[in-house]
Amino acid sequence: MARTPDVRRASTALRSPVTFSLLAGVVIGAVFLVGTGADPFAAYGAVITGSLGADGIGATLTTLTSVLGMALALAVPLRAGLINLGGDGQMVLGGITAAVTGLYSPLPPSLTAVLALLAGTAAGGAYAALAALCENRLGVPLLVSSLLLSYPAISLASYLARYPLKEPGSSLPQTRRLPEGVALPAFGSSTVTVGLLVVALAAGAYWFTDSRTAVGYEIRMTGLNPRFAAYAGVDRKGLTLRLMATSGALAGLVGAIGVLSFPYRFLDGSLTSPGYTWTGLTAALLASASPLGTVLASFFFAVLQVGGLAMERTTEVPRELTQVLQAIVIVFLAARLRFPRRRGASGGHQPVTQGEPA
Amino acid sequence: MTPQPSDRPAGAVQAPAVELLGITKRFPGTLANDAVDLTVRHGEIHALMGENGAGKSTLMSVLYGMTRPDAGSVRIDGRDVSFGDPGDAMAAGLGMVHQSFKLFDSLTVAENVVYAAEPRRFGFVDRAAARGRVRELADTHGLTVDPDARVGGLPVGLRQRVEILKLLHRGARTLILDEPTAVLTPAEADALFAVLRSLAAQGRTVILVTHKLREVLEVSDNVTVLRDGRVAARLRTATTTADEIAAAMTGRAVELDRVHAPGARGDVVLDVTGLNAGDAVRDVDLTVRAGEIVGVAGVAGNGQSELVEALAGLRPVTAGRVTLSGRDVTHASAAGRRAAGLAYVPEDRHAVGTAPAASVADNLAMGHHRTALSSRRGLLPPAAVRTHAGRLVERFGIKAATPDLPAATLSGGNLQKLLIGRELAHDAPLLLVEQPTRGVDIGAIQNIHDQIIAYRDAGHAVLLVSAELSEIRGLSDRVLVMYEGRVTAEYPKDELDERTLGLAMAGGTARRPGAGQDGDED
Repeated sequence: MARTPDVRRASTALRSPVTFSLLAGVVIGAVFLVGTGADPFAAYGAVITGSLGADGIGATLTTLTSVLGMALALAVPLRAGLINLGGDGQMVLGGITAAVTGLYSPLPPSLTAVLALLAGTAAGGAYAALAALCENRLGVPLLVSSLLLSYPAISLASYLARYPLKEPGSSLPQTRRLPEGVALPAFGSSTVTVGLLVVALAAGAYWFTDSRTAVGYEIRMTGLNPRFAAYAGVDRKGLTLRLMATSGALAGLVGAIGVLSFPYRFLDGSLTSPGYTWTGLTAALLASASPLGTVLASFFFAVLQVGGLAMERTTEVPRELTQVLQAIVIVFLAARLRFPRRRGASGGHQPVTQGEPA
Repeated sequence: MTPQPSDRPAGAVQAPAVELLGITKRFPGTLANDAVDLTVRHGEIHALMGENGAGKSTLMSVLYGMTRPDAGSVRIDGRDVSFGDPGDAMAAGLGMVHQSFKLFDSLTVAENVVYAAEPRRFGFVDRAAARGRVRELADTHGLTVDPDARVGGLPVGLRQRVEILKLLHRGARTLILDEPTAVLTPAEADALFAVLRSLAAQGRTVILVTHKLREVLEVSDNVTVLRDGRVAARLRTATTTADEIAAAMTGRAVELDRVHAPGARGDVVLDVTGLNAGDAVRDVDLTVRAGEIVGVAGVAGNGQSELVEALAGLRPVTAGRVTLSGRDVTHASAAGRRAAGLAYVPEDRHAVGTAPAASVADNLAMGHHRTALSSRRGLLPPAAVRTHAGRLVERFGIKAATPDLPAATLSGGNLQKLLIGRELAHDAPLLLVEQPTRGVDIGAIQNIHDQIIAYRDAGHAVLLVSAELSEIRGLSDRVLVMYEGRVTAEYPKDELDERTLGLAMAGGTARRPGAGQDGDED
């Protein structure tokens, strides 16, 4: 008992696979850079200044809104061991629903914006619930049902943007611009909207539910051992349904925020092409869906994504490097490597006797 | 290529078959083996005993090349050896039957036996030779088994024979058996002992790792008892007693096989009529009254687990009726049954009864998180979870450094105490308990038994499923025997005797419930 719990926690965190994977990614990335003749310090410096400097922070926070939103959407079911692979479809459905609501709502603009946000959220939630019902009622595995249901949703949105809702005279597959005022308020002249606040609130709610409520407890226990949870009377099907609905709702919210921000319309492919869903899934996996970790990992990936572009502009290094970094992190994490313990070989499954080994 | 058993006479003056000298193995925080010496002569059946965590498994993994010792040496037939992996150990004539068998279910007995050491002909597996080899080995050692049977369809006792045949085929002269009778009926265990004696008589050496006193006394020649990583006693079976071995294992005198006094019966709490759950449970009738422990005996796999799962709401009931304290819960969910007054200690504490990766506190909160610990708004304050954990840790003597550590760090006995404590704390009218002391130390067994008896004496009904006959005898007020999914016999406490019980478990005599004078079935 020589060490305090805080020190012990810190040393555990240092040895964790997450820390190891992140450092390994950075180091191996540096080796790549040196190998191609670039200066790793300059490249990483460009990533940092490009994403966190005065010119980049706005873009980073805008990206963070979507990445964190999707990361939360995927973390919520992941906390119970469920994987929602239909994030793209739910997000796009949320986006197109928000666009339709924004274009046709008879309410005043500010109320319409709120309504569009809610409608997009509801649409995403309902669609994801459908995937959960496929598993609960028909026995289609959630991985399959969520992924496959994604495609018709994307196609439907694409059709609507190309035909019935298409902006007359435009060469792009996009809807008309939302009426003046149907938008989320932005901070100053930046592209950062109150959407970021909404997503941050969602993250706070997730943290609270996870650590302070009976439902959150049941979700965590289901993720750690589903048979244990079922044995104690947790209704797995009901939980799956509720978690998927929440997950889809968050994804729909991200889609709606995307449509209610610049360029204030639904442009086919603009929500899916930046890969928010996959970045979000990676962030959630990286953090094992823990609330705080998901936020940190999302921020990390938002920085990489925006900083990679800046690095490409200011140095000769292509931004694909940041994707290489991301991939290395995932590979290391999948291998579950960790820093070796100082005390020699691990003891396998030896029961811990009283207290810390002195 | 076909090794023959050595024909050395037992007990001749020669180097010991296995000699472990001063084996020391340290794991972080524990000294698993502390200068352990073990000498096993040729042709001997040597029992290695000790509670969980005494160092038996570590010592055997050192011998079998799975763990490298920090100090000490291993000698086989007087020669120093150093095994890098089990392959080396096998080449030196050792063979180990693990607790969980390592067989291919879809292959035949002969194919399993010769696997990785097949007799070949023109580069192909010579099936006829394989079958002949199995017959020959089986005949020599009384290990009768059909070489062409699919392993997947064989009962556990026969699968164990296949494991032994496999080792004999590869020329093992020393066999290590890890808790071999855990899954066997008394009759199967007797058959195994006969095989072991015959192997020893032919000069092979057997090391029996076990915690069952009775079988050690019955079959072994010598006993080495480990406690806390050290040799606590070296005994000759012929001159020792169960009490002496138990005292050496625990370091204190233990009262073995205590038969508890019967309880005071009250109203019917659990009433089951014509219960069916798929094919596993068929037409089961039973009642459990308040203040009564009803034991369910049977060889593993005769529907006991499925019966309990069906009662707990984890397996659909296909026909019949289940009433709990007068409420029909036949089709209630697991949560609904718990709400109606049921607590449940499942057989598999790692896979079902706990979440080993979750903290001790979180594990103790399960089931209480919606009732005692949670406010009306569904909040679950971490402080309440911790306080609750502290209370149960103290009340049930769970040894946990802090409740924040993962439950996986607890020893088997402590994890079981956690599980039983959590379920007893529900104070539910009915407790279902499966294998409450499997893999638990002798010292902890007594504690757990006392807890169950106290729970009964507080006026609760208990349904106990156990493969340990002594446990069933000691605790139960009434015993049912399950065979092939049915309740085939019922005995009141004063008519219990281990022989008839063992016979009934093997499907021998069927004594129908209700045929006796017990007036409970109406």
